[in-house]
Order: sequence, then C-alpha cells, then structure tokens
Amino acid sequence: MRSGFVVREVLTGLRRNVTMTVAMVLTTAISLGLVGTGLLAVRTIDRTEELYSDRVEVQVALTADVSAADTDCSQPICTGLRATLTGSPLVESVRFESQQQAYVRYKELFAGQSLAEVVRPQSLPATLRVKLADPEAGAQAVRQAMTDQVGVRNVIDQRDVVAKLFDFLGGVRNVMFALALVQAVAALLLISNTVQVSAFTRRTEVGVMRLVGATRWYTQLPFLIEAVVTGMIGALIASVGLLVGKFLFIDQLLSGIVSNGVVPPIEVADVVWVSPILMMIGAGIAAVTGYGTLRFYVRL
Amino acid sequence: MIRLERVTKLYKTSTRPALDRVSVAVDKGEFVFLIGPSGSGKSTFLRLLLREDVPTRGTVHVADLNVAKLPRRRVPRLRQRIGCVFQDFRLLPNKTVSGNVAFALEVIGKSPATVGRIVPEVLELVGLAGKADRFPRELSGGEQQRVAIARAFANRPLVLLADEPTGNLDPDTSQDIMLLLERINRTGTTIVMATHDHSIVDSMRRRVVELDLGKVVRDESRGVYGVGR
Repeated sequence: MRSGFVVREVLTGLRRNVTMTVAMVLTTAISLGLVGTGLLAVRTIDRTEELYSDRVEVQVALTADVSAADTDCSQPICTGLRATLTGSPLVESVRFESQQQAYVRYKELFAGQSLAEVVRPQSLPATLRVKLADPEAGAQAVRQAMTDQVGVRNVIDQRDVVAKLFDFLGGVRNVMFALALVQAVAALLLISNTVQVSAFTRRTEVGVMRLVGATRWYTQLPFLIEAVVTGMIGALIASVGLLVGKFLFIDQLLSGIVSNGVVPPIEVADVVWVSPILMMIGAGIAAVTGYGTLRFYVRL
Repeated sequence: MIRLERVTKLYKTSTRPALDRVSVAVDKGEFVFLIGPSGSGKSTFLRLLLREDVPTRGTVHVADLNVAKLPRRRVPRLRQRIGCVFQDFRLLPNKTVSGNVAFALEVIGKSPATVGRIVPEVLELVGLAGKADRFPRELSGGEQQRVAIARAFANRPLVLLADEPTGNLDPDTSQDIMLLLERINRTGTTIVMATHDHSIVDSMRRRVVELDLGKVVRDESRGVYGVGR
C-alpha cells in the first residue's frame, strides 16, 4: 500500500465534496459534543458520590426534653442509644452534638441571614451523628434500630438530600445522551451519504482501478480514511467546544455550588479525559458506517 | 492462454442464453478478432474473461487461472494480467496523459520509481512522448485511444482485451491504432478484439471467431469479416 497515493486520494475527495464534508463534520461535532457533556456529567456524579460518601452521616435527632436535659450524653437514654449504635458492626463512629454545639454551627452556616437571628438553642435538637462503615446497609440498620425509641425524635439520612442532586445530574446525563443519540443517527446517515456521494463522484477512477486490478483496499481505503478523518475532525471540534463551554458557561453556572463544596468543579483535565474517548467514538462510528456503506450500497 | 469450455451464460432478463455452449481456445501471442452483430455475445465473452460476470455453466481459464472459481479477493490478480481498451477510452479527465498511465500503475502498488520509469517508456511506445502533460480533452480521439492503450499495456499484461477500440475513430486513425495493437501483439501479448469494422478484419487477415445468437458460428485462422457482407 502506497501511503502517498492514499493521502492524495483522500485530500482530493475531501476537497471535492467540501459542503458535504463540512455538514458531516458539524453534525458529528454536535453529536459528540453532547456525548462529551454526558460523559462529564457522569464523571461529576462519580466525583460527587466520592465526595459525599466520606461526609454523609445519619443523624439521630433526640427529642426536645432529652436534648434540653442532657448536654454531654451522660444520661441513661442518650448513653443507651449511643451504646446500641456503637455496638453495630455497620457503624464506624458516633459523635454527640449538643443543642449548644448545634446552635453554634447553625449560626455559622447561616451567618448574616435572618434565619440565624430567629433561632434559639432550644429550638435545635441534640443529635447523635453516626458515621457508617457500610453506607448502604448501615443507614437502613440505624433507621430500624432508632425509630420509635424513647428519646428519638427522628432519623435523618443525609443521603436522601444528596440523592436529589444526583437525580438532577443523572437527568442532565440522560438528556445529553438522548440528544446525542438522535444526533448520532443524523451523523450516521450523513456519513453514509457522504461516502456514497464520494464514491459516485469518483466512479470513473474506481472503474479504472477495478479494471487494472487494484485490490479492495486500494479502492476502498481512501473512502474509509476520508470518513474517519471527518469523524475525527468532528471529535476535535467537539472537544474544543467542551473546553470553551466549560470556561464560558459551566464554570459560571456552577460557581456558587462549587465554591461551597456542594459539587466538585469540572476541570480542564476532565475535558482532556473526555477528548480521546470522543475521538475514538468519532473515528469508530465513521469507520464502521463507511465500511458498511461501501459493502452494501456501493459496488466498487 | 485463454480457454473457454462449453460456456453458457444466462441472464435473468432473457430466456435466450447470451452465450450458448461456447468453446474457444486462444494460444499465447495470438491475435483474435471477435465479430458478430450486436447482441451476439461479444461483450459477454469479454466480461467473462475479466470476471465481471461468471458463467452459468462451463469453465473459463485465463493465464492459468480458473476464472469462474476465483475467490473474490484474487480477482485483482487476474485483472492485473489483463489489459483493457474500450470504444469510449475511459480516461480520467482531470489527469494528464502521463497521470492517467501512472494512476493505473499506482493503484496496483507499483513504487514511484517504477512508475517513473515505465510511464515514459510506454508513452514512447504509443507515440505520445511529446504529449505527456496534455489533458485528455486536448487530444484527438486517436490520441486518447493511444493513451488508453498505453495504460492497458503499462503493466505488461499477458492478454489485451479490446472492445471496439476503433468504434469512435475515422478509418485512417483506426488503421494507426491497429498498427499499434499489432506492435503490442508482436511483443508476445495475446490480443482479443471485438469489432464491427469490416475493413480492419479483412486487411489484417488474422484469426476470426464469429458469434451469432450466443453460438460460435465460425472460427477461421486467417479469416475475413464475412462473405458477402
């Protein structure tokens, strides 16, 4: 296989169908851009899960009378509850937070807001903060063991709150992937079309090639490479688009919750991680579609 | 070099066979005219040799290859041993004379050095050495056919198939083309030429195979086009 020949043929082909090529590049780029966004969402979800699995606790809030009477968990009701929790192998550690401590933290959290003014220490429950060794089974076990016990007001699983955030991110991911799928169908058809048009405009060349005994590789490779090159250019544009999108939109959109540590930021490294995946998808889809088209629709 | 044994070719669109139990053997270095009216099976004959089609029954051998049994991936090997010339030249309009010839060599994997050596040689042979950089549209019909012959001959095929190569040319130009084909024949290349041109067949006095309605009706070693035609 003479590479010089193939390169020349590919360049001629790309130039000859320039409008088709541009359409194919753009469609592929948009499709892959959406896939990329979806992948970034997946990555953010993973990161956020990691972030929270360290922090998330189950809070066992104590009733108002116990909260008021016991400031250091030294009285029987509280010590009993604590002993039950600590005895479970699913629990890593238990920390007691008194009304006063809760009040201080609350003031910090809502500093400068009117909520901080209205609250009194008595209105906050003392809590047993349970760190779990096994987040899945542990939360369930704690809930079962504590609910309706004397001195327990309620059990709050922080994961329930975080789950809403995950639902949102998961939704973003699903929408992106769905849009990407629709776009991918368009890209697929365009690739197939471009290969057919390309083969048609070069039918005289291909006819001569067949006649003089060029092998299948010689006749088909230029078309395949053409498709793969456009696919990869599309992926490249998609990657650049993601990077631009990160700086222009995502960073601003997420700036608030990122600085509060609610979700991890999307780093340049994340986009760099996504790019080669997009490249492979772009090249792969183009190659497979191109090959299929040549095999079934074009007689070479 | 070429051997057809009881070859029958049926097309789905017709009840009458395009070729009907045709047996022909052509030796190395022979020059054979394939004649007969339109629809007599000349084109099918050539298509079978090139493996553009496979026979319904019978066997076709070209240059020691069993053409009908050849697996698809080995068809290029067959075609590299056969040169082809057509009535409509089939040149690439966007390539120069030398570009056209070079293309045929490049696509079968010849090195740039080999291509660079062969192209001027073969253009010299067909008498177009001075027109290497012209485009097909700047050439006369006869010159274009010379380019086509140069392209067909560049890879030194064992067999040259010509399908009405003079069909679009005036008598004088046709005569020149025939002289060129004769010269190529003298290098040992077997030539099979399908034609309607009486005067050429009559003046050359070579072997004539006549087809009619898919059957071989005449096979003469120094024939003419036809008595009383």
